[in-house]
Amino acid sequence: MSKHALPGEYSLPDLLCCAASREVRDNEVVFAGTGLPMVAILLAQRTHAPNLKLIFEAGTLDGRPPELPTSVGASCCEIGASRSSGLNDAFSIAQRGYVDLGYLGGAEVDQYGNVNTTCIGDYLHSELRLTGSGGNPDINSFASRTVFIMLHEKRRFVNNVSYITSPGWRVKKWPGGEFVHRRDLYGSAFRGGPSAVISTVGVFRFDEETGCMFLDTCHPGKTPEEIKDLCQFDLDISRVKGETEVPTLEELRIIHEVLDPEEIFIPKIKKHAHA
Amino acid sequence: MSIDKRITLQQAVEIIKDGSRLTFSGFTIWRRPMAVVYELIRQHRKGLHLIEVNGGSHTEFLVGAGCVDIWESCWVGHELYGKYGANVSRKVREKSLIVEDYSHAEMLYRFAAASQGVPYAVGQTSLGTDIHNPEYDMLGRAGLRDGKRIAKHKYIFTEDSFYGAGSLVLVPAAKVDIAVLFVHQVGEEGTVRINGQFYSDPEVARAADTTIVVAEEIVPEEYLRRDSTRNNIPSFEVDYILECPFGAHPSGVFGRYDVDGEFLKHFYATTRTQEGFDAFAKEWIHGHDQLSYLEKLGWSRMLNLRANSALNYTPRKTKGGN
Repeated sequence: MSKHALPGEYSLPDLLCCAASREVRDNEVVFAGTGLPMVAILLAQRTHAPNLKLIFEAGTLDGRPPELPTSVGASCCEIGASRSSGLNDAFSIAQRGYVDLGYLGGAEVDQYGNVNTTCIGDYLHSELRLTGSGGNPDINSFASRTVFIMLHEKRRFVNNVSYITSPGWRVKKWPGGEFVHRRDLYGSAFRGGPSAVISTVGVFRFDEETGCMFLDTCHPGKTPEEIKDLCQFDLDISRVKGETEVPTLEELRIIHEVLDPEEIFIPKIKKHAHA
Repeated sequence: MSIDKRITLQQAVEIIKDGSRLTFSGFTIWRRPMAVVYELIRQHRKGLHLIEVNGGSHTEFLVGAGCVDIWESCWVGHELYGKYGANVSRKVREKSLIVEDYSHAEMLYRFAAASQGVPYAVGQTSLGTDIHNPEYDMLGRAGLRDGKRIAKHKYIFTEDSFYGAGSLVLVPAAKVDIAVLFVHQVGEEGTVRINGQFYSDPEVARAADTTIVVAEEIVPEEYLRRDSTRNNIPSFEVDYILECPFGAHPSGVFGRYDVDGEFLKHFYATTRTQEGFDAFAKEWIHGHDQLSYLEKLGWSRMLNLRANSALNYTPRKTKGGN
């Protein structure tokens, strides 16, 4: 195995990308979104998970893009794919239960892993309308595991998200809106839920029975107490395993020389910043 | 027997009336009929009801120009080139646009139902989210659910009676008056051939009462019929056709040209305010026709976007770091 990078040899986006990449197991069917997740998946494909199957929401199945796509509708997505078709295939496959892992993002998350990508403030009198759901709730409903990659700020790790766009482990049962365990609502369609949140300060996981988030690892230089203080809710820090594994030199080479040499999603660290 | 369905860009837009329920081909910033979008803005179309599997830059153009009253969909932005739909966001804040949120899969299912001629679709997605919050039925709140033009309910919650699968959500078929598609090739009788991902185009073409196909090129119908397994939409589902090379710019077309990222970045950066949008529209849309728009873009820009015909995409090495 390649040597781990030293402090100063990697950036925070590098760390997030490698942490995300390690969530993939070989042979899994993975639903890919645009951006850093795309780099993470292609990194996994070139390291520990050469047989993963990549699905793009726009309709490419088992894709092997020759270069990093800038969006899932992009022309290079379908080059080398097993099948290129459309959304009906992509979502049918997901609802049928073929998808093991999905990567998603969000603006806000609560302690149950409910994520908001719809609006900031009251939905009916919205201060800021965001992109909307896209396939976030669908991938999160259908996949066995989902991994969220998020910027960590106290205003983003909140008691109550402005709008539940994507379902966590405890969700609202309509028409009343009372919180129930996801398992009780999804019935035969229950396959799992959010398995990790990778933020800019640490990696978080969920107790699948209580549905609550706990801190799994701290990124280098961060303490559990510091991280707890960056959450509005009472974060469980009793199960911390240690530090998030840092990138290896080989992973950094693949990210910056093979996958994203143009720095579309992951900037290179400047030479003078080297330790 | 050949039936020529050709119309002009101007005629295509005259078919779309104020208040029409409208949808498009493509996916976010790919294969959108931008020439039609620009002409709708030039002709000051009002009160449009957009129902889209997903939105994109074209939604931002129409909403920014004040053409749209209702938008039912799940997402709007410019992908890498602009992180959210600033025009949609502004109009929502001002309450001059009604947005009805569904999930992406639900929007797809809604069009699939309409394309099958059934009144609703069933799904097990997005359960427990605010997408299903009864308080957030915006068309209901506006008193617009007449059960004719707009479905009586946003959702119906039910349980599976066949296999005991648990909670289900029914979503209404996406009934649209007009679909406008942008595709690679269309024959004189309407047969459509799309290269690469066809997104949800077959569903929207079949769902719409009237389907207008804008193509990079019109080709002999007989040519397409020589290899019918490669065709995506049958002739009789298409009512009107027109040829409009580069008519999807600034969105991209598989095998033909890439997304014009610089154009979209500029649009996103300069149209946060209404004044900004109006200035952009004055420069790029009003007072132009499709040809003068392309002339303004210029050869160097368009050549830079051109896809390699063997690779079907535009390798990054061959262009200026788009």
